[in-house]
Amino acid sequence: MIQFKEVTKTYQSGKEDVHALNGIDLTVETGEIYGVIGFSGAGKSSLIRTVNLLERPSSGHVLINGKDISKLSGSEIRKTRKDIGMIFQHFNLLNSKTVFHNVAMPLILANTPKNKIKEQVKELLDFVGLADQAEKYPDQLSGGQKQRIGIARALATNPSVLLCDEATSALDPQTTQSILELLRRINREYNITILLITHEMGVIREICDKVAVLEAGKVIEQGTVFDIFTNPQQPTTQRFVRSVMNDELPESLLKKIRDPNQNHAIYRIQFIGASVGQPLMSRISREYNLDLNVLFGNITELQGEPYGNLIVEFNGPASEIQKALADIRLNKVQAEEVRNYAS
Amino acid sequence: MLVSNEQILEALWETLYMTGVSFLFSLLVGSVLGLLLVVTRKGHLLENEPVSKVLNVIINIFRSVPFIILMVAIIPLTRLIVGTSIGTSAAIVPLVFYAGPYIARLIENSLLEVDEGVIEAAKAMGASPLQIIFRFLIPEALSSLVLALTIAIVGLIGASAMAGAIGGGGLGDLAITYGYQRFDTMVMFLTVAILVVLVQGVQSGGNLLSRQVRRR
Repeated sequence: MIQFKEVTKTYQSGKEDVHALNGIDLTVETGEIYGVIGFSGAGKSSLIRTVNLLERPSSGHVLINGKDISKLSGSEIRKTRKDIGMIFQHFNLLNSKTVFHNVAMPLILANTPKNKIKEQVKELLDFVGLADQAEKYPDQLSGGQKQRIGIARALATNPSVLLCDEATSALDPQTTQSILELLRRINREYNITILLITHEMGVIREICDKVAVLEAGKVIEQGTVFDIFTNPQQPTTQRFVRSVMNDELPESLLKKIRDPNQNHAIYRIQFIGASVGQPLMSRISREYNLDLNVLFGNITELQGEPYGNLIVEFNGPASEIQKALADIRLNKVQAEEVRNYAS
Repeated sequence: MLVSNEQILEALWETLYMTGVSFLFSLLVGSVLGLLLVVTRKGHLLENEPVSKVLNVIINIFRSVPFIILMVAIIPLTRLIVGTSIGTSAAIVPLVFYAGPYIARLIENSLLEVDEGVIEAAKAMGASPLQIIFRFLIPEALSSLVLALTIAIVGLIGASAMAGAIGGGGLGDLAITYGYQRFDTMVMFLTVAILVVLVQGVQSGGNLLSRQVRRR
């Protein structure tokens, strides 16, 4: 478990104070995959670095499994760091050493016997699927392979926490997918708590259990990935959600909706979980004798649950439309009017 | 030709001796200073502003004195260390004072080229400052360090030619006394040719070694 308690971080930049973190309160439960998202400069990088004291908080406390690490010094810090793996956006491998040597490094630092190092490195390389690349050098590998080496290296000391610093931001979408799958496997098979920072909402949707949105050094919104994606409150959060669940309507349609002279009954219908499978819309259309015009629709999966999102124009008598909406809501499906749809 | 083959061979040996011995000593001085220059920098492993400032000033002072002046200026010190201020061995002292700070700067440069991310990764896996220096910083910079030291050796060969001014001997001395002052074009040509071959050899050797240590 990682707990942030009123953590602040202030830098001196010339004569000015830069407040990178402005009182962070956050709890990452053991075994969770927790994502922190924010635009660049939001403080993500400082936040993740306070966990292994690559950056020391200016005030406040960071607790790992209940132990306050903010006051540790010297050798105690180094001991704590061995229990926290970290992977990086640019992998940070030793280019002068083989894949084997790179993965072995944390074990060499801990004076592990040679035969044990050999055994463990082989196991780690097997796990990340690079057993046959042991004698290669990092510059002979692809980005995805380099990140796998980084992951193997981070796991070498059997950490209980893995920190991912924009781990997929330098990778193409396909490679990103495979690295995220590997991270999920690590989380499930070893029960390692993962704290990741990213600016890609797709990463959050793909593997996180919970998410916190960071802006100007503050957590502006946090919750389960499902809640944040289906019901984002803050404008920044809404922008992030929209970046992967694009439900923006074309300009011409928006014009039509905004026209005050025409009365369009346009609603956003959100299906969650089991309700996705029902043929609800066609039943409503028949029963209330309404013409339904679907302007937008998509179905995705969030944390293993299907989630559907439709924007529908209802054509028919107003009283019938109201009845239909009541019926829809009875089926535990959300319906809200989008007359003033996104500006 | 006013000089014998034996004289040329002896001069070559003096040049190699001066360059070799002074290189070893300046490497010793230069690596310690260079490493200190890097790790005491702001935000580095053992940040220490006073040490960093003092080191920088001292190194800059030595780097700004022309070698020919340096040689004369430290004659008392040379006499103290070697017992004499004239001869090949005596020339080594000013050469070390000249090349030590130079090598320190070269090493500083090479070490600074190492990706900060690698150092961050080292810290994150719980490496101590000494482990970071010897297991991450130096191995990653080794190839570039070898090239930098090759430059230093070539510089020393050049500087050793001036050692003739204090009776240091060597190829440069030969070229000046016989080639220049006594108008023996052949000696001039021959000594310069030997120096050219020497420098080419050192540079090729350095390039080869640098490539070999890039991956180990």
